[in-house]
Amino acid sequence: MADSDIRYYILFENYEQGLALHDLLSSNDIKNRIAPAPRAIQGKLSCGMSLLIEPTDIDAVRACIAEHNPAYYDIVPLEGQIKSHRDKYC
Amino acid sequence: MSDYVQMWKDLGMDLETHDLLCQVLPTAVGDVYLTQENRPKAMDFWDLVISEVHGIRPAELIAAQKEGRKVFGTFCVYVPDEVVVAANGIVTGLCGGSQFWVPGGETVLPKSTCPLVKASVGARLGKTCPFFRIADMYVGETTCDGKKKAYEILGEDVPMYIMDVPQMKREKDILKWKDEIAEFAKTVEEFTGNEITSEKLSEAIHIINEKRKALQRVYDCRKSECLPISGRDALLMTQISFFDDPVRCAQMCNRLADELEQRIADGVSVVPAGTKRILITGTPLAVPNWKLHNIIETSGAAVVCEEMCTGTRYFENLVDESKTTLDEQFMALSERYMKTNCACFTPNTGRIDDILRLCKEYKVDGVIDCSLKFCCLYDTEKYSVSRALKEAGIPVLSLETDYTDTDAEQLRTRIGAFVEMLNG
Repeated sequence: MADSDIRYYILFENYEQGLALHDLLSSNDIKNRIAPAPRAIQGKLSCGMSLLIEPTDIDAVRACIAEHNPAYYDIVPLEGQIKSHRDKYC
Repeated sequence: MSDYVQMWKDLGMDLETHDLLCQVLPTAVGDVYLTQENRPKAMDFWDLVISEVHGIRPAELIAAQKEGRKVFGTFCVYVPDEVVVAANGIVTGLCGGSQFWVPGGETVLPKSTCPLVKASVGARLGKTCPFFRIADMYVGETTCDGKKKAYEILGEDVPMYIMDVPQMKREKDILKWKDEIAEFAKTVEEFTGNEITSEKLSEAIHIINEKRKALQRVYDCRKSECLPISGRDALLMTQISFFDDPVRCAQMCNRLADELEQRIADGVSVVPAGTKRILITGTPLAVPNWKLHNIIETSGAAVVCEEMCTGTRYFENLVDESKTTLDEQFMALSERYMKTNCACFTPNTGRIDDILRLCKEYKVDGVIDCSLKFCCLYDTEKYSVSRALKEAGIPVLSLETDYTDTDAEQLRTRIGAFVEMLNG
């Protein structure tokens, strides 16, 4: 996947909600990865976890959420967040 | 909602500046970790921990403090966790691994101080790291001159205890370290209000040994020609092990090792066959210092072992669990810790023996010997390390770096050329 492609971040009010959705998606074989929530989209939320979803999986994620109604705060698309050779460390 | 903001306020943190740190960490984690494919499922735990690095564990520590427990912050693998655990205390690592904290350290330290020391001081004085705010007592040691002077400055701001690490490894030095451990135990007893009995110390020794065994299990998997985990993931596991509860740490590492052993049995590797295998040796890589690993592993090689404090020095060698009196146990602790081969000792030929042994065990194609800028001890040992490796026919690349991004391109060029040379 190109570095500039859009990915989706699912935000939560707490990590317990995030882990619950992570388990739900994983048990339905829907790819998702635990990731720190980019600060730019967190708003009032504390620094914490999000779930990173590839574009190819977002429809399945939305369908799973619609079926099971798990708690989450928002789903936000973001472009160009991940670049293996950016060499910006912290 | 996880109200970490209120927790950080209560800790007296500088929220505005801390928010800047919260902005850069997700980018680094994304670039270093989320670009990897086929990672072990068990890494979910460490992904969560690093995502909530200033949230979950600090909240646990504060909850423990409310129950009367004390938190001890440490900076060196020579400080015996067992003593603190035996007094129902909690250990948390405090080494700073971020450039974010360096300028704060430079307000009181010379620029010509190693970045780890500057970052550690900056994290405390800048009030931007909850762990540095939470620790009730800092435990320093005399493994480097920069740290010794930094501890004097930190000691003006927080209760500080210094352990005097010997500089040689004669029998009398091992006895001296035993006495230092016994004196530290008295301080820990007074500070916690809890007596350290031989039974409690025995239990603590077992807990920490189990953690060491679990870390070793993961590292043993990295010896396989079928490499089931990246160096970046293994490094993150090791870095977090300094902060986590030791029992949970062992559980999570064993769970990861279970998966890695299965991956090896199934032939699942994170790199193509023939990828050159690198051992890194040198100064520690405190979280979130992932620069070297990321550059190596995005340059066509794989890191299979770290001969460093955030690596084998942390968990190799167990404490003898057969001793039943405090005196014997303190001696057993001293004997184990004095096997750790730090460049502060003279002579330190044991480190070279370790590197050569690890090269064989981990089937290493080449060694990268990297020290942090202004660490004259490890920088000086590059001469003898390089000579021994050349005599053994193992290619070696010696590097020096810091926490900035400014030398990344230069490192990419040098490491890329080294990997190309290994590929012949």
